[in-house]
Amino acid sequence: MKQLFFIAAILISGLVAVQAQKIKGSDTCLPLSQKEAEDYMNANPSATVTVTGGGSGVGISALIEGTTDIAQSSRKIKFEEKQKIKDAGNVLKEVVVAYDALAIVVNPDNQVTKLTREQLEGIFTGKITNWKEVGGADLKIVPYSRETSSGTYEFFKESVLKNKNYKSGIMSMPATGAIVQSVGQTKGAIGYIGLAYLSKDVKAIHVSYDKGKTFTAPSVKSAKDGSYPIVRELYYYYITKKEKQVRPFIDYVLSTKGQKTVSEIGFIPN
Amino acid sequence: MNSHLLKQNIAFAIFRILGLMVVSILFWILGFIIYQGAGVISWEFLTSAPSNGMTSGGIFPAIVGTLYLIVGSSVVAFPVGILSAIYTSEYAGNGNIVKFIRIMTNNLAGIPSIVFGLFGMSLFVNTLGFGDSILAGSLTLGMLALPLVIRTTEEALKAIPDTFRTGSLALGASKLQTVHRIILPMAFPNIITGLILSIGRISGETAPILFTVAAYFLPQLPHSIYDQVMALPYHLYVIAVSGTDLEATRPMAYGTALVLIVIVLIINISASYLRKKLQKRHA
Amino acid sequence: MKRIFEKFIESLLTLSGATTGIIILLIVIFLFREGAGFFRHSEIESGYVLCVNEENPVYRLTPKQIKEIFDYEIDNWSLVGGNDEEITPFRISDISDYYSDEELGENNEFLPEKLGEIIAATPGMVAFIPEQYAADTNERVRQLITEKLNPADFFGGDTWMPTATPAPQFGLLPLLLGTLWVGLCAILIALPLGLGVAIYLGELADEKIRNLLKPTIELLAGIPSVVYGFFGLVVVVPFIQKTFDLPVGETAFAGSLILAIMALPTIITVAEDAIRNTPQAMREASLGLGANHWQTIYRVVVPYSISGISAAVVLGIGRAVGETMAVLMVTGNAAVIPHSLFEPVRTIPATVAAELGEAPHGGAHYGALFVLGCILFLITVVISVTAEVISKKQPQA
Repeated sequence: MKQLFFIAAILISGLVAVQAQKIKGSDTCLPLSQKEAEDYMNANPSATVTVTGGGSGVGISALIEGTTDIAQSSRKIKFEEKQKIKDAGNVLKEVVVAYDALAIVVNPDNQVTKLTREQLEGIFTGKITNWKEVGGADLKIVPYSRETSSGTYEFFKESVLKNKNYKSGIMSMPATGAIVQSVGQTKGAIGYIGLAYLSKDVKAIHVSYDKGKTFTAPSVKSAKDGSYPIVRELYYYYITKKEKQVRPFIDYVLSTKGQKTVSEIGFIPN
Repeated sequence: MNSHLLKQNIAFAIFRILGLMVVSILFWILGFIIYQGAGVISWEFLTSAPSNGMTSGGIFPAIVGTLYLIVGSSVVAFPVGILSAIYTSEYAGNGNIVKFIRIMTNNLAGIPSIVFGLFGMSLFVNTLGFGDSILAGSLTLGMLALPLVIRTTEEALKAIPDTFRTGSLALGASKLQTVHRIILPMAFPNIITGLILSIGRISGETAPILFTVAAYFLPQLPHSIYDQVMALPYHLYVIAVSGTDLEATRPMAYGTALVLIVIVLIINISASYLRKKLQKRHA
Repeated sequence: MKRIFEKFIESLLTLSGATTGIIILLIVIFLFREGAGFFRHSEIESGYVLCVNEENPVYRLTPKQIKEIFDYEIDNWSLVGGNDEEITPFRISDISDYYSDEELGENNEFLPEKLGEIIAATPGMVAFIPEQYAADTNERVRQLITEKLNPADFFGGDTWMPTATPAPQFGLLPLLLGTLWVGLCAILIALPLGLGVAIYLGELADEKIRNLLKPTIELLAGIPSVVYGFFGLVVVVPFIQKTFDLPVGETAFAGSLILAIMALPTIITVAEDAIRNTPQAMREASLGLGANHWQTIYRVVVPYSISGISAAVVLGIGRAVGETMAVLMVTGNAAVIPHSLFEPVRTIPATVAAELGEAPHGGAHYGALFVLGCILFLITVVISVTAEVISKKQPQA
């Protein structure tokens, strides 16, 4: 019975070979890739684009294994991952499809409106534990982080914490949406989210990277002109062997129309 | 004596309250989901793909995906499970082999679903190279369902009195003929019920499909068993915790939860209805 | 011909009978094979090495020391067995503080040489650099000895930071204790409730109510865990936060509460079976001796069915320990050793579900998650066997 099933499976899959592409990886890129795929498929009804999350790591692993066509990633590919692609005899292509600004958010009731990078570092490494130390009310600070292994987590660590590690036992949420919800509900909370995720439930903090001389609020504009400091690239990775298959979609994303979607979602266009 | 009676009354009152509590918890959960989700359910919600960044449209691909996974895992678990149950209850006697198999089945039933997810990813997705696919997901879910299928089928077979077996054998029928002609038809109603119940159990599983099949967004229906699908439980998880605007996706999440619950309830209720109906016919 | 056919069918049946055993064997093989891979990885991120000045007397640093050094928590070599000298941690990205891009060459061809110069010139430096650049640095630079990840650090470690660089911290304790903590509290909530309902169903409720309640409780078991998790997220978590005036609602307590509800059906069904298995003769004897119904229940029925009830508890714990999605959604997932019920915790299944997606395939982190899977597997096997042994003790009616 089982063998029969396998044979049938192989037969069926052989008969229906469809030109389709899979995008897999970073949860940060999900809303973007999803919307782009939706629009792309509306324009090309014959195309199939599958979008799957899981995380930057899983996307790149899948690219190495050949189980996805495009890996979406919110971090640059790691040294060892690049090596594996090379070892398999493939050539990696990297495309920056958009930029993402990380907004630092607090509960709307919080009086604090601006923080320096050093203060943020203190808060997330556990050196600063009360809002009154940074000019707020006498309230315990509850920092929320993304999952220890997400690209967002690593980027924040690199950019804001200058590679220091988070305080041990920081709250780590499985997805950015969960941070929005928790920060919106929790008085003393602080968290970091992609600009796209900003909503009225949370308040974005003005950030200074020059020890308090200038504070900038996160916005598409300030991220684009470079005045907002916490900005990162969002990548699509693919291997040149599949160029023909994936290029039409990537070209669409990079087109004027595609990039308009980028800013609609809340990311910063190329 | 009176104090004893008092104690009894107090104790019994507490038990009644506890019973009531458990039932009210159930109805609270169900009621909440129904209350929040009912407004979302519409023809469009059930028959269209998500759109506008998951904030509108429907969940059609996820419903279809879940049905595919149910069928796929049934194809994996039913034949093997039923044959296995026939072997242990009709052929293997009462020796150490049966004991061993039973311990294995119990162990398998106790393994957490996330471990099946890890295993499925390691074996089907990576080692056998199926990738994230209906095939990998169905095999993983099928293994999860297997102990349930075996147990319920075994119980159904055990319920057949031995006199039927000995009678059939005495009339010159072979063991296989006895099983095929006498035992299986008689146990049929209970076997079917058991199968349906085990489907109900696996249809809502999320952890095993996380890394073996589930897609975040795939509006097209799958073309082959090597395709990924969206699935209701994963869809609910993902729109409950992620998305750029949780408030806008919340109604979708309530709707998805309601549809998922309704599917599971329909499966469960139809199983008990079927059992009653088929048993009556046999009696 | 017919005989051959029957033989064929019989061997097919035998084969199917062995399936569950084979599957468990496969699970063990694959889980443990991938898990064993973890211990073959180096303590620091693969592809990188740690280099120090030749004059430095320190030859080896533990992963914990490495982490603390790069977090600027340990700032003097004397704290790790070296000279009284300040530690200067160096990452490859810091190179721009020392040399301009032009000085490093177009393709970084001068990078190894310059790295060597920096390390040679700074006695207190520990540099975290890619292996390929460390190969031909000068003789005044020495690589620290790095060992393979060892089980003692894994099983005894109290920090879970799988992506910390240069040295990831894989400490099992917070996750294991978090899992047991949430599971045990869930049982403490569910046990009195479940036992009470089981006694009510088995002893008190008349047939009509029982026929109504039993299927309802079975329905409770049928609701998918992700729905419980969703319910917990939107109802229970905010409720707990408001009621107890907590900084966060995602706590061990939220997880325990949801798990308790989920474990209830298992406990009720198994315990009720045990209670109903008490021979009628024993009840009648007790009543005949003048005991009232309640006395009979707690002096005769409960003691008689105690092994069945214990089995119910053990199975309930098993269900709670292995539950993934609901816990992932409501416990906040902070990897700390739990101190109270009202703090976020992180369980083993939730860790696997949340991190497997991000861990590079085949890396140390990936392996660590499979080791977690193995541990979970072993816990549940112990639980299944315990339940089996306990329920065997019940005298059969």
